[in-house]
Amino acid sequence: MIRLHNIKKQYSQFQLQCSLEVPQNRITALIGPNGAGKSTTFKTILGLTHVDSGEIELFGKPILTLTTQERAMLGIALSNSCFCGYLQIRDIIPILSHLYPKFQKEYFLQQCKHFDLPLTKKINDFSTGMKAKLKILIAISHQAKLLILDEPTTGLDVLAREELLDILREYMIPGNRSILISSHISSDLEGFCDDLYLINKGKILLHEETNILLDNYGILKVTKEQYQKINPIYLTRKKKEPYGYRLLTTQKQFYQDNVQELIIEKCNIDEIILMMTKGELL
Amino acid sequence: MNLIINHSSIQPIYEQISVQIKDRIIHGELVEDTILPSVRTLAKELRVSALTIKKSYDILEQEGFIITIHGKGSFVTSANQAQLAEEKKREVEAELEHAIRKGRSCGMNDQEIEELFHIIMEEP
Repeated sequence: MIRLHNIKKQYSQFQLQCSLEVPQNRITALIGPNGAGKSTTFKTILGLTHVDSGEIELFGKPILTLTTQERAMLGIALSNSCFCGYLQIRDIIPILSHLYPKFQKEYFLQQCKHFDLPLTKKINDFSTGMKAKLKILIAISHQAKLLILDEPTTGLDVLAREELLDILREYMIPGNRSILISSHISSDLEGFCDDLYLINKGKILLHEETNILLDNYGILKVTKEQYQKINPIYLTRKKKEPYGYRLLTTQKQFYQDNVQELIIEKCNIDEIILMMTKGELL
Repeated sequence: MNLIINHSSIQPIYEQISVQIKDRIIHGELVEDTILPSVRTLAKELRVSALTIKKSYDILEQEGFIITIHGKGSFVTSANQAQLAEEKKREVEAELEHAIRKGRSCGMNDQEIEELFHIIMEEP
């Protein structure tokens, strides 16, 4: 559905250089610290910024050759964009119906009601959470094949996040759809996305399936003496700690089976981001 | 499906799912030809990633408990008794192995472990 191949974009203080692929029937996440290049990547995919070199394809075609109908198969929510704040939901419905031939008005209204979004209130007067919900509803209400969501859950409380993710999970059930999503809240991603790309300073540091990250990756906590003796073959990062070292392994089973009296923890996505961006390469 | 996932367990999630489904098949709660929920549906229900579910289904399929027909879904197969017996045997083997490993790690030699084994076997 999305293919970025060797994209390069040079800014004065920052260089984006990445390849990324989202196949059909896949929820892919793009994660990374602030300023890592997530939003730039999203803009690049949509052709909103010009790149210096590389190929960008959506639905198997270079983005600039997409027809209007093909563009209507995209559902998009970017972080700082929404409809003009002076409009009300009532006003944007005719706009959406004209923009998207497959806009499902009934579904949209029903979801607005479900999320308590008032039809006759200026969007400017919406709370952060209401705006975020509106953006997602706009993105999913025209039977898009591909959703591109830049931090859609930012600013939402845990209840609203779970509700929105459930809507997105439901959106995926037909099976021929995909989502590219970025988020700061990694607990959202753990139970949601199928694979993820970790980006930092414009480069992809890691691409792995979520279940492999959660099941196979692990954190070892070792003393200096243990560190001298440990077999480093499945270790990728280390970080100094008061007691010795914290190590990121890609095969915690190996250390569970082969080393005695070792503290091995299941790791979460936050920990992987931390170790991959701040840890020393092994 | 009403499966329960323990996120703080060290056991991988895909394994928790496949073990629970297998249990239900072995105990006859899921009978032959029952259709399992689609990968995305179960992913939504359990709030885990779809690839995790797919991995669980793949394992169940490899072990012959379910069969996936492309475009139709995954179905419980006619689990034959030999296969179920084999499964139970494997469980016992795993537990024995665990006990032996524990014995060795606290310094027992193989002969001592064997002796213990025979003592337990002779108990009524």
